Amino acid sequence: MTAAITIETSFRMPSPSDARADERALVIAAQRGSSEAFAQLVRTHQRRAYAVCRAIVLTHEDAEDAVQEGFLHAFRALDRFLPDQPFGAWLYRIMANASLDLVRRRKVRDADELPDTVPMPFRDPGESDELRRRLSHALTKLTDRQRSVIVLHDLEGFTHGEIGGMLGIPEGTARSDLHHARASLRKLLKDVRSDL
Amino acid sequence: MSDIRLFSNDDDEVVRGLRSLYAAPSADGYWNELEARIMSRVADVELGWWTELDRWIRPALAAAAVLLVAAGVAMFRAHQTEAEIASESMLSSPAVPVSTAIRPALQDDREARIRFLFGR
Repeated sequence: MTAAITIETSFRMPSPSDARADERALVIAAQRGSSEAFAQLVRTHQRRAYAVCRAIVLTHEDAEDAVQEGFLHAFRALDRFLPDQPFGAWLYRIMANASLDLVRRRKVRDADELPDTVPMPFRDPGESDELRRRLSHALTKLTDRQRSVIVLHDLEGFTHGEIGGMLGIPEGTARSDLHHARASLRKLLKDVRSDL
Repeated sequence: MSDIRLFSNDDDEVVRGLRSLYAAPSADGYWNELEARIMSRVADVELGWWTELDRWIRPALAAAAVLLVAAGVAMFRAHQTEAEIASESMLSSPAVPVSTAIRPALQDDREARIRFLFGR
């Protein structure tokens, strides 16, 4: 019995509050200058950070750039972060801002350099099937914000409030963007699917 | 998270298409490499501070040395000037006795009082 209790206590699954406490300790260590602690934070959050960036920018390469920029911004701003706040939410807002900055820069560059061409919006390495190609095309018909909102919500599972915080828009706007994005995509894909 | 989804279950294919368009790379090697790139840029930022500091150290030390020499010279000159003024004031002291020069009126009063007392 004692052995069972010992095993139970020593092998218990980490609870969310444990994870939060661990993350807080990592943040504090990183704020005190520990590179290893910051690396651990990068390891923990980079996949989710990539998903946020990828929802906002147009290509995988831009998402990579935005993730790197975002982590650099986060590193520089780490002293101003209050460790009692959720680190993820703070970090993803930074990621979203880095992505929005990159999108703006790309738009300016494209307007300057390629006025008559429309860039292919999505990396599409092995795309052979018609549905995916036309899905890509349908997504280009949405506004940048609608596309970001629908991906962040329907694929990544962020709430309207979280999306609003990341994109700097009210929660209600995120909700209505999602509604319009869904309606547009439904309409566009209805045509696609009837063709297939 | 909302439970209202874009597509019904019949549209799994479309959802899969969307997911594949936005899929993050799955290979661990990719993420290790990305982490290494991020940390390398972070190290550059840290190094940047030190490099910047290092760049300023030599001019700052030179400026501090110049200031120290200037302050030393100024203090020496001030001390020398004080000594010169003191010696000049010693050499050019008045011929009249100090007591007479300071309070002649007081001396007169005292004499007057003594004369007054002894004269009574």
